[in-house]
Amino acid sequence: MPKPRPPIVKRSLASWVFEGNLPWQALLLVLIAVFTATRVLPLEMQKRIVNEAIGRREVDLLFAYGATYLAAVVLSNACKYGIQVIETLIAQRTLARMRRALLEHILRLPVGFFRENQPGSVVNAVVNELAVPSNFVGAALSTPVANLLTLLAFAGYLLWLNPLLAVVSLAIYPAAMAVLPFLQRGANRANQKRVDLARTFSGRIAESFQGIHEIHGHAAFRIEQRRFAELIERLRKVRVVWGLFRYGVKSANNFFTSLGPFIVFLLGGWLAIRGELELGALVAFLSAQEKLYDPWKELIEFYQVYQDGKVTYRRTMEFFDVESPVQIDPPDRPPLRLEGKLEVRRLDFVTEAGIRLLQDIQLALRPGEHLALVGFSGSGKSTLALCMAQLHAVEEGRIFLGGHDLTRLSKMDIAANLGLVSQHPFLFEGTLRDNLLYACEALAPAQAGTAAPPTLDDIIAVLHQTGLFADVLQFGLNTPFDPARHEAIAPGLIRVRRKFQEKFGARFGEVVEFYDAAAYLEYSSIAENLLFGSARRPEFEPARLAANDWMVDFLAREALLHRLVNVGIRLARQTVDILGNLPPERVFFAQSPMSAEELPLFRRTLEQLRRRSPEQLSRQETLRLLELALRFTPGTHKMLELGDEFRARLLAARARLRREIEGNVPGAVAFYDPEAVVPSQPILKNILFGNTIAARPRMQEQILQTVIQLLIEKDLLEAIVGIGMETDVGTQGDKLSGGQRQKLAIARVLLKSPRILILDEATSALDNRSQARIQNLLETRWKGRCTVVAVVHRLDIIGHYDRIAVMKAGKIVEIGSFAELMARKGALYELAGKR
Amino acid sequence: MNSPGNAEPERGSEYEENLELLRQIDFFSGFPLESLKVFAYLGARQRFRAGEVLFEQGEEDATAFSVIAGRLRLERESGGAVRTIRRFEAGAFIGGLSLLGPCRRLYTLRAEEATVCLALEREKFTRALEQFPAQMPRLFQTVVNAIVGWEENFLDEMAEDCGRCIPRLGVSLL
Repeated sequence: MPKPRPPIVKRSLASWVFEGNLPWQALLLVLIAVFTATRVLPLEMQKRIVNEAIGRREVDLLFAYGATYLAAVVLSNACKYGIQVIETLIAQRTLARMRRALLEHILRLPVGFFRENQPGSVVNAVVNELAVPSNFVGAALSTPVANLLTLLAFAGYLLWLNPLLAVVSLAIYPAAMAVLPFLQRGANRANQKRVDLARTFSGRIAESFQGIHEIHGHAAFRIEQRRFAELIERLRKVRVVWGLFRYGVKSANNFFTSLGPFIVFLLGGWLAIRGELELGALVAFLSAQEKLYDPWKELIEFYQVYQDGKVTYRRTMEFFDVESPVQIDPPDRPPLRLEGKLEVRRLDFVTEAGIRLLQDIQLALRPGEHLALVGFSGSGKSTLALCMAQLHAVEEGRIFLGGHDLTRLSKMDIAANLGLVSQHPFLFEGTLRDNLLYACEALAPAQAGTAAPPTLDDIIAVLHQTGLFADVLQFGLNTPFDPARHEAIAPGLIRVRRKFQEKFGARFGEVVEFYDAAAYLEYSSIAENLLFGSARRPEFEPARLAANDWMVDFLAREALLHRLVNVGIRLARQTVDILGNLPPERVFFAQSPMSAEELPLFRRTLEQLRRRSPEQLSRQETLRLLELALRFTPGTHKMLELGDEFRARLLAARARLRREIEGNVPGAVAFYDPEAVVPSQPILKNILFGNTIAARPRMQEQILQTVIQLLIEKDLLEAIVGIGMETDVGTQGDKLSGGQRQKLAIARVLLKSPRILILDEATSALDNRSQARIQNLLETRWKGRCTVVAVVHRLDIIGHYDRIAVMKAGKIVEIGSFAELMARKGALYELAGKR
Repeated sequence: MNSPGNAEPERGSEYEENLELLRQIDFFSGFPLESLKVFAYLGARQRFRAGEVLFEQGEEDATAFSVIAGRLRLERESGGAVRTIRRFEAGAFIGGLSLLGPCRRLYTLRAEEATVCLALEREKFTRALEQFPAQMPRLFQTVVNAIVGWEENFLDEMAEDCGRCIPRLGVSLL
């Protein structure tokens, strides 16, 4: 049986040198042997050229030795390049393997580790610090072997040339070896401090980014700068010390090696004058002696890389050398299928700071029983829920899941049977579908062959149960129609559009602004009103019209250009006046035609307008104002009134623009056509063939319901939901509302059909209706089938739980059914504010 | 050709009308013009048909409404019966408390005829308010005055007829 590999944090740096790199290291040795030989050969050729070719005046010999010299130099450099390529290859393969292994180890560390350490520290370790030791691994074999061999070859050659001169000139190297390690130890100490400080610094940066809202909210920029300044200063000092020692090593080394030629000139010159040494031999000796310097320098540099790599590697591995108290995968078996029985015996939980968060908790739940945990903030409800989900290590007392001691179950056993939904669920970058299937995909490798992955029907059922279906559908309806991806549904969309117009056009006439060639569209921009279609060529996209010379010329001919620039000036004035001092947040700029980034530019233009007339503005500034005006959408941007006369002018221009485009740039715009889809417009707008009017919020729901009915009739609903599932959720799900994030987190867990469900205030961000839906789901579909432990804040939803445990100061003070506890008039009664 | 310097004939924009409206509402009376401009900009017109609901009893709605035109009816459902509590007409401001924090609606607000309101959402209001922290004490004072004033009026005018509800009084002592 193969020996189990030690965890990465226990592995030595040397262990990476050969593992997985053996063929490459062998190839390196071959190249090194050739390389060493080709480095010595030119020295001999030098001697022979001087002594034999020049001395005997033989041109043939000169060419022969010269050619050999050249061949040796070419081969030597080719070998050197090959060695460097292979070293880089080994270093990068090792870096990738180290990163994979370290990340795998880090992800499995207990949750407590991540509470105590900043994410930035981990990022720094994986991204930056591992590069140094992996560079060492790349050169670990080749550099010492190549340079030692070269050094020995040169030393042997020197001894062969002149033993006395060789011994005297080689004596400097032992002297150097006595001094250099002393300096290197200083460099190591400084490097050790640098690694620790760099980790703290990275952690601090990450912390500040996470808390950027607080920093902006409190204008705490100076506090943060002060905290950074102190760390930067410490890092600067330690890097200076590190640098001083490193360059100290280099300088000392240079000094010793510079002594070599001095000794050779002195002693060699004396021997040559006395006729005891040939001039050619002296030249060869000087060349060889000088060439000793290169391998020696490389050895010393390698020594530094080794020392830096060793210190960095050890420091990094020590930081992550934390043992996970639980197993990740079950040993040699599929995950257990547990009964939904849950028992807690005499459970205590004490924080590292010694604070007792749970005390003597005892409870037992039958499979399918539902328990609500209630109590004041800080009473320990969430701590108990997290202990049950193995996210807090249980040290005193026991928890049994399906009769198995929790501490003996692997993470995979727990994930296969227990689902946890936290109050602030985390979503990962990717689509709704990716996040929805996250839990199932995590289990898939372990459950291969024993559990089937969820089907589309399963997914749709869960979306319905959690109330996410309408959201996903809405995302689908808001997705711009992309001919490349959505062509198949185009005919269906047109059928739904026709039906909507026929049956509901009149009813929703007040709520939908239909695309009518004779009407100005209040919920479309001026650019969209002029085009009355969707651009097929990029220069006709509404956002680019101001940069389209043809269009600007058209506007000038229509006598609209200056009027639009004037609209731009008025918009800029109003926007800068209202939003000029507000932070660049979406909430403030969503109703503005100007983005936060553009505000300073328009502020400058307005400054110019104080001193100059609009005609004196630069063309760039004029076009920027035109662009702003073309974005103006009266229904959304309320800071300006266009006037009926101007609307009529724009409408007249719309008709002429269409004729000009059809005549001069045919195909540039797909004009709105009731019988054709409008590319790049949202699918809902394609169905309605118009804009929804934001001023009728309650009616939007009715429109949506009507559209859903029509989509069902035309068998398009699943296709639109499928498109909605491909919606990108953004960073940490920031494109979703708090309620949508919670619904997605619940759906994610329900999709894997857990036997035990832990809900830690999982519905706190939901509105009443959504909360009632989830509650209803628990009561009708999950009662008796799935054991539920729910941390609940709102007491109006606990009536249907089988039992309620009231917690106070880390203890369960009473437990029983809602009716029993209310009749008892104890803690729950008090909590409900009845006393 | 028109010169861009020649200003368009200025008509009141929706934003300017909103600003004028907010200046007349007690709830916003303590705010300086700079902050009122932001609230006026963030507010949105909403139109309701007769019978349409603005918010529903039991719902956690986060919008305050100022009636611009039309009439609204406040209802309370209890034991299956719906009772009209009162009516609001142009100039009324409803739901200011919901701008300060999540609160469940105790009533249903319904349009009795075609009605136009200026609606302000809590998220926008609070984000804007964060930009003017110096105004917080004034806002709190407005709310305190409203609560105490309401109870004082109630005590002066209604307490005699109140009967069983007397022990429940004291909302100003919160």
